[in-house]
Amino acid sequence: MISRLFMLGLRYPAPVLFALIAVTLFAMAGIPRLQVDTSFDSLIPADDPDRVVYQRVMEEFGSDNKIVIYVGDDDLWTPARLAALDRMQRELQGVEDVTRVESLFSLRTIEGIQGRVDSQPLMADVPRTVEEAVRVRERALANPLYPGNFLSRDGRVTAVIVSIDDANNRPDFNEAVYTDIESLLERHRTDFSDLFQVGAPRIHNELTTSLFEDFRILGPLSAVVLVLAILLFLRSGMAGMLPLVTSGLTIIWTFGMLGWTGVPLNILSAMIPALIVVIGSTEDTHIMAAYFRGLKEGVADSRRTAVSYLARHTGLPLILTVITTSLGFASNLFSNIGLIQQFAIAASFAMVMNGVITLLAAPMLLAWFGPKERPLDLDDAASSRLPDRIVRLFRISQDRAPLHTLAITGLLCVFFIYHASQLQVTNDPLSYFPSHRPLIQETNRIHRDLAGVRVFYVTLDAGTERAFMEPRSIARLAEIQRFMERQGAFDLTTSLADHLALVNREFRGEFGELALPETRQLVAQYLLFFHRSDLESYVSHDFSKANIVVRHNIGDSHLLNRYVAELQDVVEHIAGSDFRATIVGENLMINRAAESLMIAQVKALGLLLVLIFLIMSAMFTSFKGGAIALIPAIIPIAVIFGIMGLLGIPLNPGTAMVAVISVGIAIDGTIHLLARYNELCRRTSDYVSAVHAAVKEEATPLIVSSLALALGFGTLLFSNFTIIAQFGALAAATMVFSVIANLLITPIIMTRIRLIGLYQILALSVDREALDRTILFDGMSGYQRRKAVLISELSDFSAGELLVEQDTIGRSMYLILSGEVEVVRRDPTGDRTLATLKPGQVFGEIGFIREALRTADVRAVSKVSTLRFDYDRMQADLKFFPNIVAKLNFNICRILGERLADMVEQAKR
Amino acid sequence: MNLRALMLASVLSVTPVGADENGHADASGRALMDAVQARHHQYPYIYEEQSMMLTDRHGRRETRRMRSYMRIEDDGAVKFMLLFDSPTEVQGVAVMAIRESGGATRKYFYLPAFGEDLLEATGSSSAEHFLGTDFAIEDLTGEALDDFEYTRLRDHRVNGVDHFIVEAQRRGEATPALRHHILSDNLFIVRTDHLDQFGRVSKRQTFHDLRPVGGGVWRANIVRMDDLRANHQSLIRIEHRVFSRDYVPSEMFSAEWLVDNQRPIIANTAEGDQ
Repeated sequence: MISRLFMLGLRYPAPVLFALIAVTLFAMAGIPRLQVDTSFDSLIPADDPDRVVYQRVMEEFGSDNKIVIYVGDDDLWTPARLAALDRMQRELQGVEDVTRVESLFSLRTIEGIQGRVDSQPLMADVPRTVEEAVRVRERALANPLYPGNFLSRDGRVTAVIVSIDDANNRPDFNEAVYTDIESLLERHRTDFSDLFQVGAPRIHNELTTSLFEDFRILGPLSAVVLVLAILLFLRSGMAGMLPLVTSGLTIIWTFGMLGWTGVPLNILSAMIPALIVVIGSTEDTHIMAAYFRGLKEGVADSRRTAVSYLARHTGLPLILTVITTSLGFASNLFSNIGLIQQFAIAASFAMVMNGVITLLAAPMLLAWFGPKERPLDLDDAASSRLPDRIVRLFRISQDRAPLHTLAITGLLCVFFIYHASQLQVTNDPLSYFPSHRPLIQETNRIHRDLAGVRVFYVTLDAGTERAFMEPRSIARLAEIQRFMERQGAFDLTTSLADHLALVNREFRGEFGELALPETRQLVAQYLLFFHRSDLESYVSHDFSKANIVVRHNIGDSHLLNRYVAELQDVVEHIAGSDFRATIVGENLMINRAAESLMIAQVKALGLLLVLIFLIMSAMFTSFKGGAIALIPAIIPIAVIFGIMGLLGIPLNPGTAMVAVISVGIAIDGTIHLLARYNELCRRTSDYVSAVHAAVKEEATPLIVSSLALALGFGTLLFSNFTIIAQFGALAAATMVFSVIANLLITPIIMTRIRLIGLYQILALSVDREALDRTILFDGMSGYQRRKAVLISELSDFSAGELLVEQDTIGRSMYLILSGEVEVVRRDPTGDRTLATLKPGQVFGEIGFIREALRTADVRAVSKVSTLRFDYDRMQADLKFFPNIVAKLNFNICRILGERLADMVEQAKR
Repeated sequence: MNLRALMLASVLSVTPVGADENGHADASGRALMDAVQARHHQYPYIYEEQSMMLTDRHGRRETRRMRSYMRIEDDGAVKFMLLFDSPTEVQGVAVMAIRESGGATRKYFYLPAFGEDLLEATGSSSAEHFLGTDFAIEDLTGEALDDFEYTRLRDHRVNGVDHFIVEAQRRGEATPALRHHILSDNLFIVRTDHLDQFGRVSKRQTFHDLRPVGGGVWRANIVRMDDLRANHQSLIRIEHRVFSRDYVPSEMFSAEWLVDNQRPIIANTAEGDQ
């Protein structure tokens, strides 16, 4: 059936071509509908309970969607620079979607001097002299609320905080705001030494720009690298073209589907074209290798025959590998992070569609345009020499010290697993960019000169109105802030307590002491000096909740989570039973998602391994087969996680997927290797030579596809995103490790087992009548018969050929499938024909039961096809199938019994 | 004749009641504003009991109760005081403004929880809001006309009612700060738009529940200020109004009077936030 599927394109080219074109056109129509999602929301688990709390806090205390404009100049405090700053902040107020601009010109100071309260703007007008400007600077620096928030402690840098609101839900909100502000800043760049903006619009804009840059670069780059690699190894233009066609169509179908279904592109989507090209090409490589084998095996130069050959030999492995690769990507759906889920949908769909397109288009294209001859230099080419050398190298250890090789591999795995346990996790959006990028460097400058741009809130909820007019309640805020100061991890904390302490200091004239007011009335009366909007970030309208705004620059999720956990304990202790304490922030949720990222990936990996184990167990009708198939997949994962632990590469949304995706891909090579090994085992009882032959045949496509994959993944190093580059490097390394595992470890294990493929059982074509007639399979189901048949060795003999030689020791039993043999007893008196056996009859059963000299010759009368059952091999291979063994033994007993009865009858006569 | 009597006489002679509509068709902005002031600022002593409702951008409200005192002295000086009665924590807090006849304005705060002295508020801009509201004192007392230059714009007809439009530009500033909408039939300002330097409306003050209070004078019982950017509003409802010299004695504009006339604090949890 699988072969028939494969031949669809060949048998019905017009409808298949029409269907491919129609679906492609439909998909192309969906591409303009593609959406891009670079929101931070997709980095937070959808079921994170803190989302609700965060929303509530945002509604209560205002959004944290603010842009920081960094203004730095050695001569900032001069009339000229301040006038420029004034012009700039005025212009900023005119930018669409800007709701508020806070700068030195909007700040108010409260100063108390001997019965007078001077509550006024820091600068109502631009100072006229340098002296006046310097006085303003001193006043600003004396206000504890401003250093860090609005100006650096040396006064060289000031920040303009721009609040924005997407009131009209504009789809291009971030881009428009970023562009408008950037063009405004461009006009003022000559006014100041340093002038730049950092905020959500810039981050979103850079994410989007980088995403499309990656699209433009990574896809074509991977295609070029891949085609070159394939051309080098397979020496065929068609081999290079095929992946381009199938991956090209897959990319269109995938993006079309995303467009039609509304699943957005995100930063991880940047690598989808490259992944399609790279991973899709592995199947094409195997197809081309099989196609060339089809040509090689002397089935003339007919393309059709070669395609039929590849359909028979590659169809099922192809489908299996498509399933496992897709499962690798789909297992990421278990992540509760939207970013990864969206990527998993797109990538697993792409892998399935790539399989479908390859299944339909590859045979058709090869039948039309495929090479008619095998590349002459394929065997002698560097492509073959390299795999041969590798295989020969590995065979030394396989032949001379197989157990040592396994033991050393095991020890290495233990070593790497130990280091894998030291893996760190991070999910910070800014860590997605490389550290040399201006955005990151400028973010760090803001942190260095002012305070980090990352924000979270510590909120206390008293549950009763006006609770935060009580000095005792306000004192708790101050106590929490003092603890954070001692922690030394966060840049700046601001709360209602700071505002009240400032007013108290100014009214009382106690400079240098930021004491809190002592009575509820005084708190309330001081608060009258603030406008509600001044305090809305710090206290709820009914004073039942208060908020500490914390700014920091910690990008390491693990570290941040540790500090926050420590803070949580202290906050809960300080809050006591009177207050409900929460620590929330988009930034915190994103970083906390890193932990769930780890858990989700462990789950996904576990599930994928179980699924692959079950599929492979079913395919090879043995749990042993399932376990063996996993070994070459598990070893690279252990190694790669160990390397990540050793090198301090964190687990992030990119690197977290390496394991599951690599398992899905690495298993493909194992499937091809095992499938070929099984085919060869049908024709020889020498498993070692079968393994060697299978490895030799599969080494080239395995190494070619793995190197091509490694090179293809390597192109991701050119990504604008660190997480994608890290993914690319690690995936490339995993491909190399997996091919080593496949060619070094798998063969050692393979020689010790005999697997039977389900597809072989289902596809077995033998003379049903012969099987029905034989007593050997009496009482067995069709499935059991087929399995028993597959454990045997298929042997063909020509007329006159000797199958069994008298007086030799042999432990094989034969079942005749077709043709006739005669049993001849050689005696000194002459040869005596004892019997002529026909299809369904068995001979050699005595040697099978006990080691003894053969009692007669068995010679083919005509062309004969037999199944040979070797005693030792049956003992080894059938020990996991006791039902079949029992029935076979019972039937052999019957055969022997009948022979005995015949002999008794003959003796009587 | 003192300044106040002169003001009253000029109002009566220039703006006959009911004839404003015809008499100001060609008047300049300043002339219109003079007429507005002359007509509606005839009473020099005004005592009001008010409730103020502050609404934030989420629609959450906070209510304060207060008393307002205003008197115009013979020399043209204006004295204004707001005295808070609730919420309990701010009972007794007062904000006081004295605009001298020369135009200079001094402002004071009185915080009973802090001490018995008045705290002079120095350096504040006259346009600054006070005590957490969206109002500036100038919004409640009316601007000093000499501080502005007025330009009359094209009249508007809204809901069948004609309005004179006058823009006010603070002297020395480059752009207009206020745009008054004046009812043509009684010269009452029913809306004042506060403009930013780009000419955009940042705050809007509107007057509602207009009532004639005698002598052609109208008063609004509800004054509302909308901060259009921050999306919050302050609303003053006049519960009780008395035009009487006895209610606004001169000596009350002092710390001593405020200390002596503190009402006993009665905790009232029903007041305040709603």
